[in-house]
Amino acid sequence: MSNSTQTGLGKYKENLLSIKKSFLGSFLRSGMPTSDKSRTAVVVNNFFLHLHGAKTHTNTLKPSYTLGLGLISFFLLVIAFISGGFLMVYYSPSIGTAFNAVKDINFVVISGKLMRNIHKWSGEAMIIFVLLHMARVVYTNSYKRGREFNWVIGVVLLILTFVLNLTGYMLPWDQLSYWALVIVSNIAAAPKELTDIFGITQYFDIGGATKEVLLGGTAPGQNSLTRVYLLHIILLPLGICTALGVHFWRVRKDGGLSKPDIVGDRETGVAFISPPQKTGGIFPTHKTYGLMELARGRTPAVDNDVENTVTSWPNLFVAEIAVFIFTLAGVIAYSYFIDAPLKEFANAAIPENPAKAPWYFLGLQELVSYSAFMGGQGLPGLAIAGLLLIPYLDREQEHFGIWFSNRQGRMVAIESFIVGAAAVIGSLAFVINFGWFRNWWPKIHQLWIIAINPGNLLLGFVVAYSLFVIKRTGSTRMGAISLFTMFLVCYVILTYTGTVLRGPNWEFYWSASQWPIH
Amino acid sequence: MQSRFYLSLLLISSLVLIAFMGIAFNREMNPEWKKYQTEYKDFLVKNAKDASTRQRAERIQIGMQQIYIKSLERSDRCMSCHRGVENPLMAEAEQPHRQHSGNYLENHPIAKFGCTVCHRGQDRATNMREAHGEEHTHWDFPIIPSKYIQGSCAQCHDYEMLRQEGGEKVARGEELFRQKGCQGCHKIGGKGGDLGKDIAGIGSRPFAYFSMKHVVGDHNLYNWVKQHFDDPRAIVPESEMRVFLTDEEAELLTTYMMTFVTAEMPRNYTLIKNVIQPKIDGESLYKMYCIACHSDGRVSLYDEIFKRTIPAIRNPAFTRSIDDEHLRTIIKEGRKGTQMTAWKVSAAGLTDADINKIIMYITMNRPEKKPEPFGFLKYKADVRHGEELYNIRCEFCHGAEGKGGEGFLGINLRNPAVQKADPEFLAITVRDGREGTPMVSFGMKGLKLDNQDIADMVAYVKTLSQKK
Repeated sequence: MSNSTQTGLGKYKENLLSIKKSFLGSFLRSGMPTSDKSRTAVVVNNFFLHLHGAKTHTNTLKPSYTLGLGLISFFLLVIAFISGGFLMVYYSPSIGTAFNAVKDINFVVISGKLMRNIHKWSGEAMIIFVLLHMARVVYTNSYKRGREFNWVIGVVLLILTFVLNLTGYMLPWDQLSYWALVIVSNIAAAPKELTDIFGITQYFDIGGATKEVLLGGTAPGQNSLTRVYLLHIILLPLGICTALGVHFWRVRKDGGLSKPDIVGDRETGVAFISPPQKTGGIFPTHKTYGLMELARGRTPAVDNDVENTVTSWPNLFVAEIAVFIFTLAGVIAYSYFIDAPLKEFANAAIPENPAKAPWYFLGLQELVSYSAFMGGQGLPGLAIAGLLLIPYLDREQEHFGIWFSNRQGRMVAIESFIVGAAAVIGSLAFVINFGWFRNWWPKIHQLWIIAINPGNLLLGFVVAYSLFVIKRTGSTRMGAISLFTMFLVCYVILTYTGTVLRGPNWEFYWSASQWPIH
Repeated sequence: MQSRFYLSLLLISSLVLIAFMGIAFNREMNPEWKKYQTEYKDFLVKNAKDASTRQRAERIQIGMQQIYIKSLERSDRCMSCHRGVENPLMAEAEQPHRQHSGNYLENHPIAKFGCTVCHRGQDRATNMREAHGEEHTHWDFPIIPSKYIQGSCAQCHDYEMLRQEGGEKVARGEELFRQKGCQGCHKIGGKGGDLGKDIAGIGSRPFAYFSMKHVVGDHNLYNWVKQHFDDPRAIVPESEMRVFLTDEEAELLTTYMMTFVTAEMPRNYTLIKNVIQPKIDGESLYKMYCIACHSDGRVSLYDEIFKRTIPAIRNPAFTRSIDDEHLRTIIKEGRKGTQMTAWKVSAAGLTDADINKIIMYITMNRPEKKPEPFGFLKYKADVRHGEELYNIRCEFCHGAEGKGGEGFLGINLRNPAVQKADPEFLAITVRDGREGTPMVSFGMKGLKLDNQDIADMVAYVKTLSQKK
């Protein structure tokens, strides 16, 4: 009755006065959540939140289970995207201006140096956290029960992370950029080593062609920078966003994060979740039934109980925000103290000695020093293939979602860690002290070195040892733990060697202070 | 009650984040130059003599200063700290506030020249460490110490003008460069020997070209060059450079080295007042190209670095026994197997006229009296007897079969200058010896060999080129 008596202006005035309430209502739709029903509605009705389940298993919230590694990796990417957008405002991808643009970002742009540091360190931290996240997935046995292909996407994300970092490294066009580009293009041209041996380089120069496509010519120059820029700001980010979207989507479709089949009662009510606040809703405490529970199929959520779940709002989101702020604080604190390197302007006449790739590729560069083809393409290709195959070669369904599966798994991991470290340190010590075929028989055919070099032998040993573990324990799961442990140990130790222990001419030094120059 | 773990993580992380945002903001808002500009402004306000100057001082805006010079491709931000550089009131002030010394800025307005074109340093940097290009800042050309700064003047000015108008250091350095025979080994503008490294562009050569391992003090171009002049082998152990310089001379030459830069100044910056090159006579040429090895040419010396004896080419005993034609051949073609460079125009770049001048200078004191002729052709030489004599008499200094070389006092007798020489000349040399060298007289005045023996020896020496 009152509505009809209102004048048009009266309605207008009322709408104007209630604008705060109506705007918030339109934005949040269901208002501030006070009941499980409305908490669910928050998740379902929000574009950003509806990727999450309305309810979250307590195991997912357990910090000691996930260590937050996947989230940290994702947030690092978000930070890198935002700071990267900031840097793009000032950067210009021309070899005449790029270096000065970076200098200006460092010197005159307000907070430019900090932003550049944040961009650099969040990107490089991603490598570490993606690897750690993979380790978590392997050790908690989480690459099974429908998650096999998501592991494959994870490996793709790892590669994209590497390449994004690498292309970013080349943009300032300083000495580091230039010589990293030279090294990388030479690695791209590594198949030449093989085609040369068979004498078919002049008909089928796949290495040279790859290098030319990468560089846009035969030597690094403006074309290379343009291509690297295109990769870094469009193609690779699009790729990583797509892959990441699929990665998350599959996590949801696979029923959320992996969890043990039996979660004891002692797991509930611990400090990282809130006890239910029963102020509304229709179902009894802890019980929510969704379509998932009514459907048939192999979807992991089907037939599973909904015990030990809590509403995602606020439990999961508090955790996510906490991890995000934790990540951001960590990156900013690190960036405050440590500056991203910027060397002299690129100079083709002055090779850096040692000319080193960025640190995360120095393990590869160590292998490249044995054989360009095997170190640069053969071995990393095989290692990636090995990673991809883990969920397909280990299909034991027991001990799902349990760290190291059991006591035996923990022993195998420790044992593989020691054996892997001994193998890689042993092979490095051998090469450093005694050299290899080329030092002993200078005229030996290169094919022998491609076939037999410390890198190949190391890979052979790693594979053989994990097969031995499978034979000994009768469990492919143990083999997977062993293989991945040794992969990680090899990567870390080789990277350390390439970064710290290799000096001018790739000679061995205990530290950079012993280098004979400067 | 919310999750205690995540809430405390959130709380602590937020505090850390806010703290770091705060200190980062603070650092961003208080750059190094701001402090200096505030000091400068306060000083002016405090020392203002009257109200209007005070008002003007108070109106000074604090902000980053930049001089952008398009034709020099520079963005000099030096005045962000050095704001008082043009202010006469700051003549006595401490750095960074002090006024520029001398009257240089009158003729070199900052708006046209900026700072780094003379002083070097990193133009875009806005903090002292990186602007001055100190060690480990990855800037190839740190700020140039004032004792070498005149090297920058020669980018635009000629040495004659510099000598008269405030560039005496670099002008003297240039003079020293000509007097110390540097071009005997180093090629400049196509002229000079090639024993030494190319020094073109050394003043603008990136840091990475130099081995800094043995440099004392800051590792930079200036210290490298100066200390290399002091003692080349202390900086580059395998160096063969011969230098005998006082500390002051080393400084002057270092200044001069800074004039060898690759970039050319735009034409509207250069000012050449004296286009006439100084007249170069035989003595100057000798100093430019010969003196580094032959010194004044009066005595021959065994050189520890070259591991051989350097002949005394201006000694009358030498000039008396050698004719101009023979000298010309040696100078033009050099002496293979020794450090003596081929100086012809297609090699070290000396014109025939230059070489003639040098020969005139070398033979200036040639005695009127020719040596007594030997008459080599009169003797019927016995090569075998000559070989026996050689092994007894000559091998000690000239080495087995005349090979000479490292560690031997005598010269290599197989080199073309000996092998192609007139036997008469060789015989006279053996008979009379070489004054001012270890080569003594083997004739009747000295070691009492008769002419027949000498002729035999010479004949044997002439056969050496056919031996392996």
